[in-house]
Amino acid sequence: MSPEIIQPPEWAWYYIAVYFFVAGTSAGAYFIGAMEELFGSGREREVSRAACYIAFPLLILVPIPLIADLGRPERFWHLFIYNQGGYPYLNLVSPMSVGSWVLLIFSVCSLLSFLDNLVADRVISFPLFSRYYNRIPRRLYAVLGSLAGFFIAGYTGVLLNVTASPFWAATSPFMGALFIVSGASTGAAAISLYLIWRRRNSGGEVERLEAFDRVVMVSELVLIALLLVLAGRTALPLMTPPFVAMFWLGTVALGIAAPLWFKYRSRRHPFGDAPVLAHYLCILAGGLLLRISLLQAGQL
Amino acid sequence: MAKGMFVDTTICTGCKACQVACKQWNGLSAEPAHFGKRPGVPYPVADNFTGDSYDNTGTLSATDWRHVRFIEQIDESRREKRWLFSSDSCKHCSDAGCLNACPTKAIVRTDLGNVVVQQETCIGCKFCIPSCPYGVISFSEETGTAHKCTLCNDRIHNGLGTACAKACPTGSIRFGELADLKKRADARLAQLKGKGEKARIYGYEEADGLKVFYLFADRPKVYGQPEDPVVPQRRLVLCSLVTILTALGVGAAALVNFRERLNGRDEEESHES
Repeated sequence: MSPEIIQPPEWAWYYIAVYFFVAGTSAGAYFIGAMEELFGSGREREVSRAACYIAFPLLILVPIPLIADLGRPERFWHLFIYNQGGYPYLNLVSPMSVGSWVLLIFSVCSLLSFLDNLVADRVISFPLFSRYYNRIPRRLYAVLGSLAGFFIAGYTGVLLNVTASPFWAATSPFMGALFIVSGASTGAAAISLYLIWRRRNSGGEVERLEAFDRVVMVSELVLIALLLVLAGRTALPLMTPPFVAMFWLGTVALGIAAPLWFKYRSRRHPFGDAPVLAHYLCILAGGLLLRISLLQAGQL
Repeated sequence: MAKGMFVDTTICTGCKACQVACKQWNGLSAEPAHFGKRPGVPYPVADNFTGDSYDNTGTLSATDWRHVRFIEQIDESRREKRWLFSSDSCKHCSDAGCLNACPTKAIVRTDLGNVVVQQETCIGCKFCIPSCPYGVISFSEETGTAHKCTLCNDRIHNGLGTACAKACPTGSIRFGELADLKKRADARLAQLKGKGEKARIYGYEEADGLKVFYLFADRPKVYGQPEDPVVPQRRLVLCSLVTILTALGVGAAALVNFRERLNGRDEEESHES
C-alpha cells in the first residue's frame, strides 16, 4: 500500500464519532435488556426496563449527526430509495447501506419496547396496544431488536475496516468486535446510571449486570491490545500528544482500566455512592473517546 | 465493448495538455492560486504551489480529475539523472471500491465499463473517498458531492474518445477498446524489454483489471501508485464473521451472567465471600 495517496473522508468527529458512541450505547443497552428479558427469571425487570428507557431516547438523537455530516443533508432519503428509479435500494457490500436499513429496524423495535414499558408502568395508556399486550410480541421484538442492536453496535467498526485508509485497513477484522464490546460496556454503564437515578440500583439483577460488565471490559482491553499489534506502524498517530491524552489516558486508563479495578475492588470493599457514579461516567467518557480516537487516527 | 485508456508513461513529455483538456471539456474550475506576501520576499508568492518539480496541483481532487506527476530521479553522485512523467486519473477498476461502498447507487458502471458518479443522486456521505485504494475520488465542498473522472462519459457515448487522449500530442494517452489497447501495450512492453529497459504494465491484475492501465519504467510506488492495491470490500466477509462471533461471545457472557435459574443468587453470594 502507498498510504500517502489514500484520501481521508474527513468525517467530523463531533458528528460521526458521537454517532458511533450514541448508537453503540443505545444498542448495547438494548441487547443487554433483551438478554435479561429473554434469559432472566422475569421476577426482576429493572435492567430490561431501564434498557428500554435508554435505548429509544438515545436513538432519537442519532439521525441528527448522521444527516448533518452529509454533503447534501436534504437528500438523506436516497439511502433508502434510489431517487432515479423510485424503488428501495440496498447495497449488501456497503456497510453504510445495510446499516441504514438495520437502523430503521432497530428504531422500530426499540420504539415498541419503549412504548411497551410505558404501558406496563402505566405512564401512558394505549387501549389498542394494551388489549393485545402479552409476552409473545415483546419477546419477538426483543429478539429481533437485539439482533439489530448487535448489528448497529458492530457495523460501524466493520465500516471502518473495509476502507483503504491504512490504519482502519490494518486493524481489520477486529474493529467491529471492539465496537460491540465497547457498546456492551457503555450500554451497561448507561443502564447502571439510570438505575442509580431511579434509586433501584440494588439486588441480584444489578450484581449480574456488574459481573457481565467485568467480563466485557476485560475483553475490551484484550481487543484493544490485539488491534494495536495488528495496526503496527499505522497506529503511530496514537502516540502523538492529543491521542496520548484521548486514547491512552482517556480511554485505556480512565475509561477501562481504572473502572475495572474499581469494580473488582468494590466487590470486597463497597465504596460510597459518589465513586460508583463517577466510575460509570468514566466508562461512558472512555467509550466516547475510544470512538473519537479510532476515527481520527484513520483520518490523518 | 469495454472501453479504456492505455497510458504509456515512457513517451509522456509532461506537457499537461491532458490536464487542461480535462478541465476545459468537463468545465472544472482551476484551483485558486492564493497569491500572498511573505516576509522577506519582494514579490507575491502562491501559497498552494507545491514547489515539487513542475507539479502544481499535487494530487487528484474534485476539480483536478487528471494530474501529471513529475518524478526527478538523480543518483547520489549526481551523474545519472532521469525525469519521469505520469499522467494519472481514475482507473475505472473492474472491481471498484467506490462503487461497492456507495449506499445510494450514485456511483454506477455504464455499458462501456466506465464508473461515474451521478451528481443528482450523491448525498455526500464521503464513504467512497477512503474506499478508493488509489485515492482518486474526492469530495467537493462546493457541490456537497463526490467527484472524479468519468472517462468523458458524454464523449465516449457519442463516438468520441476522451478529451485527454484527444489532446495528448505524443500518443502517451490512448483511448479505445480494451482488447486493442492491451495488444498495443504488450507490443510496446516487448519493445522496451528488448532494449533492456525495466518496464512493466500496471493494471492487468489490480482490482480485477483497471480500465485505465499504465506502462511504467519503474516500480509503481515511484509513480505514487500502490504496489498491492486491495479492494477494501474483500475484507468484508472476514470482518463480518469476526464481528458476529464477538456478538455471540457477548451473548454467551450475557447468558451465563443473566441466567439466574442456572446460577442462583445463593451460589453467587457464596462465590463472593
